[in-house]
Parts: sequence; C-alpha cells; structure tokens
Amino acid sequence: MPDALPDLFAPYDEHTQPQVPIQHYAGTYTRNPRRPPFRRPVTRTELTGPLDLSAKLHPGDINLAETNGKPAQGQLIYVTGRILDEDSRPVAGALVEMWQANAAGRYFNPLDQRDAPLDPNFIGNGRCQTDATGRYGFFTIKPGAYPVPNSNKWWRPPHIHFSILGPSSLSRLVTQMYFPGDPLNAVDLLLLSIADREAQQRLISSHIPTQQIEGEWLGFQHNMVVRGRHATPPL
Amino acid sequence: MSALPNSPLVPAGWQTIGPFFPRTFFNEGDNDLTRIAPTAPPTALGETIILHGHVLQEGGGPCVNAVLEAWQADALGHFRHPLDPGHAKADPAFMGWGRAWTDAEGHFEFRTIIPGSFADTSGPRAPHINLGILGSGIMRRLCTTVFFPQHAAANTADPVLAVLPAELRPLLLAQPDGERDGLRVFRFPVLLRGEPHEETPFFLD
Repeated sequence: MPDALPDLFAPYDEHTQPQVPIQHYAGTYTRNPRRPPFRRPVTRTELTGPLDLSAKLHPGDINLAETNGKPAQGQLIYVTGRILDEDSRPVAGALVEMWQANAAGRYFNPLDQRDAPLDPNFIGNGRCQTDATGRYGFFTIKPGAYPVPNSNKWWRPPHIHFSILGPSSLSRLVTQMYFPGDPLNAVDLLLLSIADREAQQRLISSHIPTQQIEGEWLGFQHNMVVRGRHATPPL
Repeated sequence: MSALPNSPLVPAGWQTIGPFFPRTFFNEGDNDLTRIAPTAPPTALGETIILHGHVLQEGGGPCVNAVLEAWQADALGHFRHPLDPGHAKADPAFMGWGRAWTDAEGHFEFRTIIPGSFADTSGPRAPHINLGILGSGIMRRLCTTVFFPQHAAANTADPVLAVLPAELRPLLLAQPDGERDGLRVFRFPVLLRGEPHEETPFFLD
C-alpha cells in the first residue's frame, strides 16, 4: 500500500486555488509567507487523520433558523449537498462545520463591530456529520451581503463558510459557498482570487426546484469535493 | 507525480476562514490531544507536555483568532487510521488531534504527549506534530511541523526536516520553556511572514 499512497493525494492544481495577496484584504499581505512552501515527502502523518471527531466536535446543530424556539429573521433556506472525493465517492462520516452572517450581513461575533442589527435569534453556526452517501444539510436563513471595512466599497456577496474534516489530514477543506445569480459574485475579490473560472463557479450553489423541498424552505444544493481518491475505508 | 487523468472531479477551491470563525465552536478540551473526548481520561502512554506559542504576522503583531489544528502519532508512533499499517496497535485512549485558537496576543496552547517515532517509506520519522494554521487572510491552510530538540539524532535522519536548508531547520524545533504543573513546556513560535531567517518554514499542502 505505501507505494500507492502518493497517488491518493496529488498536489492541488494552482489555477483552481486562490492566489495571494488580494487587494483590499490586508491580512492576505501580512499573514502569508514570502517563501514558497517546501515540497515534502508525504508520510503517514499527512495521509492519516482523525476518523471520528464527533466525541470532540459535537455534531447535531443543523437548524440555525431558530434559537430557543424563536425564529430568526430572514429568508428560510435549506442548504444540502454531498461531500465527495476526487473519484466521486461519497465521504461518509465527515464533519461539516458552517458559519455565516445574519440576514443583515452581520456575524454573531464580538469581532464584528459593524453597525448593522444583530438578530438575537440567530447565532449562525452549525455542525453535522455526513451520512453514508456523504450528504449534509442545514436549515438556516439566507445571509446578507456586507461591506468590507476600508476596502473602497468591496461588498462580500452572501456566502456561507464551510469547514470539512476527514478522512485524511490532506482532505481537510475550508471554503465558502456562494448563491446563484447574485451580482456581487462576479466582482467578489475572494472568488476572483481563483484564476480558473470553472473553479470559481464550483463554489456557487444551485437552486433546488421548489417542488422537491418539503416545508417552506428555499433549497440550495452544493456538493464539495475534498482532495483524495477512493475514499479511505473505515477501520 | 502524474496528473489525474482519470479523475472526474476537481477538489474545491479553498477560501479563508475570515475574521469571524465562531468562538462558540471551541469547547473546553478541544486543544487537549490526550483525550478522545472532553470527559474521557487522558491516555496513560507517553510523556504529557504543554506546547504553546504565539502566531505573529508581518511586523511582529499578533495574528488574532487564528485556528491551529494539531495531528500526531501516539507515544509508540502509531495512528488510529487504516492508512497506518500498524493501526491495530494504536493507543485507543489517545486522540492525536486537537484544535486551539489564538487570543488577543496571538497566543495558543495544546496539551499533548511527546509522539513516538516510526519508520516510513520515505525514511525514519522523528517525533513530530503537524500543525495546520487557518486565519483571516490565510486563503489556504498553512502547514508546518513541530520537532523536538531532545531528539537530535532522529531529527537529522527525518526525511521531512531534510527538505529544508540546514539553516532553517532550527525554526521547526520547539524550545524547552520550563515546567508547569509538573509537565514539561515547549514553545513553538510561528511567524507567518518575515525575514528569511525568521519566517516559519511551511510545507506544500
């Protein structure tokens, strides 16, 4: 098996990944190394990863649209999709974390000091574990757009942050999901930091036909592909 | 390494965690690698240590609200994962994964054990801890590795440390930093961007 391992995790294609620095985003200038990263041999530490984090990172927060039984403000949406590997195989048991701004475009986070209303019934983060088909799903509200401070009127389009863990350290993914048809997508500096246009488009979710969703949720479908081939077998 | 001619899907593009990674995601014990759950007893195998440091940005200021994820072998050098041929011997009481976040000073801290060494196809791995660093403005995880100064001979033979020019290798050595509650403390400073002789070396993810 060891000799076949590097083939499991080929390096990323740079054209499909964001490049830094990004204009108007100071952190991309001060927090990314000058020196190019060193290519290392891939050993067990990189190939393996925690297989079951659910005892530590508790899944189960999949309905963000209410807090203590009180509804959040905003358009109710259901975001679902599958976590797949590069061979289209489902990644079962992956932990999926998500966080987002409220309908007014403000995060429930003390670091967000913007002058937009907080919604006491919307915290805006959730965590779940994918099922046997790699599927995740969250009930939430559509996040608002917001202006980036000191950026010459750069507005972030509505987006949801995703963090995916498992089944290997090299299949770790942190990304953002965007909404179809939003005019801010085409001028978003984070989306545009990815050179390949198809790779940009893959971060944009798609509408689910309304007839296919039970209840009064507007559905969005968003698959996310993590690095790796033939998903790691369970122990 | 060849491209992936048969691969039908391309991995998703990374994006930054941004400035608002939820603090409510962090629970007590997330930065403790020695337990498989917050309420579980710590592993009995290995020397428990504190690993801490600051994450600094260009100019030396703190990188606030950075997220650090640690992953390492157990005390005998095994991983509880099918891609480790020795996984059946892995310590069932050891998690090996932890997550910490930096405070207003950029400070982070893990509780873990000194990992074991192991033989890999690329060569003998010295005891080490892999760190993935996420933060606002970091568009893709920054990967680095912590080594320990007391394993000088093993470090010399380590195939990952060997890819660095010799003058940079000391930057990946944790520094002995006294004791706390009877545990040895190690300090691992991270400088995300700086002069060549001080910037933390990172590995291609």
